[in-house]
Amino acid sequence: MMRWLRCLLCVLGWMVQAPSWGEEPLVVAPAISEVKITTDFTGTELKAVGVMSGPGELVIKLVGPKQETTLSRETKLGPFWIEGDRVKMADAPSLLFLYATAPIASMLSPAEQQKYGLNLEGVWVRVEPQLKAHAAADWRKAFFRLKEQQGYYHEDDSAIRVFGNRLFIADMRLPGDLQVGTYTIETLLVKSGKVVGHTVGTFKVRLAGVERRVWEVAHDHSWLFGSVFTLLAMLLGLALNAIPYRRRR
Amino acid sequence: MEFFLPIAHMDVNIVLILLYGALVGFLSGLVGVGGGFLITPLLIFTGIPPIVAVSSGAAQMAGTASGASFLHWRHGNIDFKMGLILLIGSWLGGGFGVYLSKILLREGQFGNVVVFLYVILLGFIGASMLIESLRAVLRAGAPAARDAHAPAASSSLLRIWIGRLPWQTSFPMSGVRMSVAGPLALGAVVGILTSLMGVGGGFIMVPVMIYVLKMPTKIVVGTSLFQLLFTTAAVSVMQAGINHSVDPFLALLLILGSVLGTKLGARLGARLPAEKLRLILALVVVAVAVKMIVTLLIPPVDIYGMSVEVR
Repeated sequence: MMRWLRCLLCVLGWMVQAPSWGEEPLVVAPAISEVKITTDFTGTELKAVGVMSGPGELVIKLVGPKQETTLSRETKLGPFWIEGDRVKMADAPSLLFLYATAPIASMLSPAEQQKYGLNLEGVWVRVEPQLKAHAAADWRKAFFRLKEQQGYYHEDDSAIRVFGNRLFIADMRLPGDLQVGTYTIETLLVKSGKVVGHTVGTFKVRLAGVERRVWEVAHDHSWLFGSVFTLLAMLLGLALNAIPYRRRR
Repeated sequence: MEFFLPIAHMDVNIVLILLYGALVGFLSGLVGVGGGFLITPLLIFTGIPPIVAVSSGAAQMAGTASGASFLHWRHGNIDFKMGLILLIGSWLGGGFGVYLSKILLREGQFGNVVVFLYVILLGFIGASMLIESLRAVLRAGAPAARDAHAPAASSSLLRIWIGRLPWQTSFPMSGVRMSVAGPLALGAVVGILTSLMGVGGGFIMVPVMIYVLKMPTKIVVGTSLFQLLFTTAAVSVMQAGINHSVDPFLALLLILGSVLGTKLGARLGARLPAEKLRLILALVVVAVAVKMIVTLLIPPVDIYGMSVEVR
């Protein structure tokens, strides 16, 4: 309840400062500017809060940065199931959440959905190496199914709450293993099958604290990191095992 | 209690990883094995990428072996001449194995190779140990009528072969004379296994040193640990340098768990009869091998799998 009130106060305060909010069909308060991944990060809740000019339907599209994904297919070798073919799925967003006040297919034509990228399986994905159309289609189908199963691609037509046909709040849950980079939140106001308002906001996800430093050192100075860490591990093992021995003597 | 691993780029349960470390340390204290052969499969079952499991397992073994090596050094149980030759071999083998890992990773075959190597090695070792320890338990009470001829017959042929190789030298500490090529080749095999499987290789090294190289058991354990310490350390450095796959938090949690487990295992080990201890270890090894075979035989729920390039 307190979080909800805080959000409401935040959006009201922001609206007072924004001079044009009364004229725009759709105004959305910035949800967050940055998400930091630290040791105890297990995902986070985001709230998109805004105001619309009058009754209508809403769609919020949350898109993660592009990510190279490898898909593998198990094949049978004698009695064993082993990892067989592999392809790379390039240019696909790491995360794609579609939130709406009603099923998107019922409020927008396929052409409008295509125009704004509001179809989970309509995302452009490049399959590498280049394959014949039907083979690539199989991999694409598997890719979207796995992304949905693992919760990275998701559509929800009950996550946006509208109050008095004006104020709206969307609750979004980001998973723990987020891709680092820039995320985009697009909000669309739909009236009579047409998009009449469209806003775009962004926020960044980055590793922070020790995790960031560890990751950077492990990749940018990998040999130094390997040497120092292995030496530390050996010293730790020595201290934990040998010091009690010295005490006993 | 979840914890984010920056290199594996995933959340793990701290208690679970500490328990894995404790289980391996417990077995190590109980029956005197390194336990690297258990850590890698357990981490893979948890969802940690095989290359991170293998590399962090090597770092963990370097950590836990350092304390034990120190104690053996204090007791004068290390044949440094033999240890250094083994080490040169295992560093060469380890370097080759790390590059082989890189090629296998690029071809997408690393997971397949690791799983098959584990099934073959654990299946063979587990079955041999189970048969031997069951025999020992069944004849417990009677004087141990160990069949010394079987290993002696097979090892004598190897000894004759090693005796004909060039670069013969003596190892005064162990009281043996042989070609440098023998321990060099043994070290190389162990080095390759360390980098591909994250194991210390004690289960190969110790029997070969006792039965083939005819070294005294006390010196074998100390020298094997000395070699294990510097082989796993070198593999850990190389895996971090070439494949960026050592997760420091994962390795530290495993070290902490294993230190606690080793102390518990050593206490219990002092109270249980040796043949029962060997039977416990054999059952654990067989259980892991069976689990891996079952995973390979059962048709997958979904034939497609997905992994992401973490940046």
